[in-house]
Amino acid sequence: MTRYLIYTACLFLLIWSCRRGTDVKPGPQPYTLNLPSNFPQPVYDMSQNPLTVQGVALGRRLFYDPRLSRDSTISCGFCHQQFAAFAHFDHPLSHGIDNNTGFRSVPGLFNLIWQREFMWDGGVNHLEIQPLTPITDPNEMGEDLARLIAKLNGDAKYRSLFNGAFGAGEINSQKVFKALAQFMATMNSFDSKYDSVMRNAPGAKFTTEEENGYKIFQNKCASCHKEPLFTDGSYRNNGLPINASLHDAGRMRITNNTNDYLKFKVPSLRNIIKSPPYMHDGRFYDIFNVFDHYSEGVIQTPTIDPLLRNGLPLTESEKRELYFFLNTLTDPGFISSKALSEIVITD
Amino acid sequence: MKLHRLLTALLVLCMACKKDVQDQKGTLQITFKNVVNGAPLKLNTSNYTNAAGETFTISTFKYYISNITLIKLDNSELKLPAAYYLVNETDSASKVISIPAPGGEYRAISFMLGVDSTRNVSGAQTDALDPVNGMFWSWNSGYIMAKLEGTSPASTAASNALTFHIGGFSGRYNALQTIQLVSPISLSVSEIRKPQITINADAYTWFNQPNLIRFQTTSTIHVPGEDALKVATNYRNMFRITDVTDL
Repeated sequence: MTRYLIYTACLFLLIWSCRRGTDVKPGPQPYTLNLPSNFPQPVYDMSQNPLTVQGVALGRRLFYDPRLSRDSTISCGFCHQQFAAFAHFDHPLSHGIDNNTGFRSVPGLFNLIWQREFMWDGGVNHLEIQPLTPITDPNEMGEDLARLIAKLNGDAKYRSLFNGAFGAGEINSQKVFKALAQFMATMNSFDSKYDSVMRNAPGAKFTTEEENGYKIFQNKCASCHKEPLFTDGSYRNNGLPINASLHDAGRMRITNNTNDYLKFKVPSLRNIIKSPPYMHDGRFYDIFNVFDHYSEGVIQTPTIDPLLRNGLPLTESEKRELYFFLNTLTDPGFISSKALSEIVITD
Repeated sequence: MKLHRLLTALLVLCMACKKDVQDQKGTLQITFKNVVNGAPLKLNTSNYTNAAGETFTISTFKYYISNITLIKLDNSELKLPAAYYLVNETDSASKVISIPAPGGEYRAISFMLGVDSTRNVSGAQTDALDPVNGMFWSWNSGYIMAKLEGTSPASTAASNALTFHIGGFSGRYNALQTIQLVSPISLSVSEIRKPQITINADAYTWFNQPNLIRFQTTSTIHVPGEDALKVATNYRNMFRITDVTDL
């Protein structure tokens, strides 16, 4: 009898403890990132900022919230438009509050977890630190970091979202940057036609023109625009005539090294047809202008890339085939993904 | 019986280790006194004169202290766990730092003036390293190791401003400075002894030797590079232990 009572008591205790268990508010849910096997290991160390459903959602909200700018007019998404692979469609130079204009074009945002350095000159050395530049730059969002943190701490909705993603406590800049990094870590593009062909997906096949274009690409472009990311992450002088109104020294601005004069980061060619204008100053509106530059327009200066000593002569039909190949790098799923699209913030 | 003995031995060993760890606890307190050519720093009001004879005032004076190492009597080094302190003239609490330190006798202390290269490339940081403290370059990632702002009639910048933001953690313009200060008496740290060190930080040294800085030609530094390195080479001489209280 005593034994029976003890068993009953134990059972009751067990059920009671389980019930209590379900009352406990669940913590942030892990967010799984499925990455392609043919890509290298990501550079960004996600073990230091584990992706969670709540963290990614918070980062997305911050990304699209114009209150991150001083006068609440400009969000990250204002300049990084999804349909243009998160570049700024039709705008040669970045611009921001008070009608100010920056001095470089807006780079597309994708596959950032594989990027070692950021910006056209590589001045930013970490994905988490990247948003600090546009947020505080007077020509972009022009906000003071301390003021932004105070603003977020004063917002009940943000306090609750931050608690949900990072646990209880004050909102600080580290949590803001980690949330934005979590969202940016989900902005990945690897499902273009090119990828389907490379993975031998059923029915995926280049047309003759695309196939020819791929060969031209491999011969003339691939040493800088290295597959599968379509950039080798290096800095090169590609022989553009200097833009006298901007006087942009490029990578030299960061390294103080005269060997880096006029060198800029090699951009990825993924989604390139969707993200004009091109080059660090957005000078070319049409990809054919870019082909013409490499074919006939390269200016020889002391820091010119050795691969461009003789330019990259292309016939008119080669340019056309190259265009068809570059089109296969467009990732329709990425530029229309609902998980990345703009959200309208009403509270 | 054998097992019993073994367990007892293990227990004794564990307890001994535990006690050992407890004995290690101690604190070292450092108070920074910011001065100019020996006189206490007074923000905005005092007129100082640099080695080139130019007068100036100071409105902002702050610097990072990190990577503290204690030097034992036999000259062996004891690297303390990573800690970063931002000493800011306008924040009196920041000028007194309490360093958890293992018990022992130490003859000198060494520290880095600035933030080591690892932390400069490790993404978003908190507390003293939070970019909200205004000691971080966003366009060219990296910490401003030390900052001095003010005015001088000799400055040709707008409003005669002086803006010395010194940083750079890599390559030939690496401005990081490791400073070692020998204590006039040995520093004895234990659970019951908490040595207090007072260190003068003299802003005058920034512009003096070995690189004479004239405000007329150099009044603004806000990038890593040759000028920043010149000032950093000067300010490695800025600290002096003026007092040790062995409590």
